[in-house]
Amino acid sequence: MLTKDLIGRIAEKTGQSKKQVELLLNTNNAILRESLMAGKTVQLQGFGALEIKERAPRTIVHPRTGERTVSPGKNQVVFRPAVNIKDELKKF
Amino acid sequence: MAEKLSWTDLRRILAKRAGVSEKEANAFLSALTDELVVALKEDKQVKINGLGMFKLQAVAPRKSVNVVTGEEFTIEGYNKMVFVPEAGVKELIEGLEGGNESVDPIKKLDTQAEEIVDILGELGQSPKEEAAAEPAPEAPAPEPEPVFVAPAPEPEPVYVAPAPEPEPVYVAPAPAPEPAPEPFVFTSTPKKEEKKKKEHHFLRDVLICVIILLLLLCCAYFFLREQLGGLIDSFLTNKPDSEIVVPADTTSQVIAEPVDEAYQPANMEAEELTEEQILAEFLEASGDLEDAETPEDQIYEDLITIEPMHEASRLAWMAKRFYGAKIYWPYLYDANKDHITNPCLIEVGTPIRVPRLTPAQKDTTNAQTMATLERLRLEGEAACGH
Repeated sequence: MLTKDLIGRIAEKTGQSKKQVELLLNTNNAILRESLMAGKTVQLQGFGALEIKERAPRTIVHPRTGERTVSPGKNQVVFRPAVNIKDELKKF
Repeated sequence: MAEKLSWTDLRRILAKRAGVSEKEANAFLSALTDELVVALKEDKQVKINGLGMFKLQAVAPRKSVNVVTGEEFTIEGYNKMVFVPEAGVKELIEGLEGGNESVDPIKKLDTQAEEIVDILGELGQSPKEEAAAEPAPEAPAPEPEPVFVAPAPEPEPVYVAPAPEPEPVYVAPAPAPEPAPEPFVFTSTPKKEEKKKKEHHFLRDVLICVIILLLLLCCAYFFLREQLGGLIDSFLTNKPDSEIVVPADTTSQVIAEPVDEAYQPANMEAEELTEEQILAEFLEASGDLEDAETPEDQIYEDLITIEPMHEASRLAWMAKRFYGAKIYWPYLYDANKDHITNPCLIEVGTPIRVPRLTPAQKDTTNAQTMATLERLRLEGEAACGH
C-alpha cells in the first residue's frame, strides 16, 4: 500500500480532508525523523516503537582477497512492534 | 539514548506544528496506527513517503529438537513486522554517531581508532601465532609414535638377555641387533605383501597363458581335424590299412584327372630328357615322311617350324596362331597324320609340323581349296571319332 491510499483511508476514517491528513502525515514524519536523528525512541501507542540501535564497528574480511578492514559503526532504525500487534500479525 | 518521544509528546508537537488541535492530532495518529495494521494485513507492506516502509515478513517453519527429551518438533512459521527506513532517512540516521552529543563522538572515534589499532595488531599477530602453533603440535605428533613403538620391542630383549648370559659385555651387543630386526619385520610386512601380490600376479598370468594355449590347441584341432584325420586313423589302425588308404586317394585323383595323370609322366620324360632329341630325330625322319606324303594329296613345300604339342593346346589354336584362322587346322592334321592317330587327343610333347601354306591354300574364296579343307576336316573329325 502506498502513501496515497493510506491518506485516503485515514481521511475516510477521521472525517478530515485528504490535504489535512497529508499535512499531518508529513509533519508527523518530520517529527519522527528529527527525533530518530536525535537518537530518541519514538513510541506509537498501540502499534510499536521505532528505536535507534547502535551498531559497533567491527572488522570485516574480504572474502576474496582476505583483506581485513574495519567497518565503521552506525545507528540503525529498528521497529519494535507492540506485543498485541505482534501477536495479532504473527498468526495472520 | 534512553530519551523517548512518547505518544503524548508526539501528539502535542504534531498539533503545534500542523496547527491543529490535539484532539485532531490524536485522532489522526490513532487512525494512522490502526490503518497501518489493517494495511499490513491486506498488502503485507505499507509505504510512507518521507519515512520508510513497514513490512510483514514471513518466517518459514523450521524443525527443532527438545533439548531435554530429544524429541523433534517443528517451530511454526510466523509473520514478523519490519521497518525499512527510506534511503535518505537511513543515511541521515546512520550518519549520526551518538545522537545529540556532538563532542562525545569525536572522543569515541579516537578511542575506537585506538581499539581498532589494537584489534588489527592482534589480528596481524594471531595468524602468525596460529601458524607457528600449528606446525608445532603436528611435528611432535609423529615422533611419539616411533618413540612408543621403539621402546616396546627393546625392553623385551633387554630383560631376556641378562637372564641366560653371564657375560654382560659380549651379550649386551647381542640384544641390540635383536630390536633391529623387529622394526625390520614391520618394514618387511609390506614386502611380504608385495611378494604375495607378485605371486598372485604370476599365478594369474600363468593361468591366463594356459587357458590361451588350450584355446589355441582346440582351434588347431578343429581346423586340422580333417587333415589329421587320415594320420590319426593310420595311427589307430594298422599300417597296411594306411597304405591302402593312401593309394585310394591317389586313385581317386587319377579318376578325377585321368588324362593328365596318363600323360604327365610321359610328358615330363619327353620334355625334360628327350624333347630336343625327339625333335631332332623327327626332323631327320620328316624328310623321308614328306617325301612319302607328298605323292598322296597335299604338297607342303616348306615348314615354318616344328613345335611340340603344348598342354592345353589344340590344332585349331595353332592354326589360328600360325595361319590367322582356326579353319586351317585340317592342314596341320594332314601334315602330321603319319604320327597322329586322333587329332582331338594329341599327346603333350608330340612334335607338330607346321607347314607353310601357299596363298592358294589359304584362299577361302577358292572352291577347290575349300573342298580340300572340307575333306581333310572330315577326315580329321572321323579320326577323332565324331
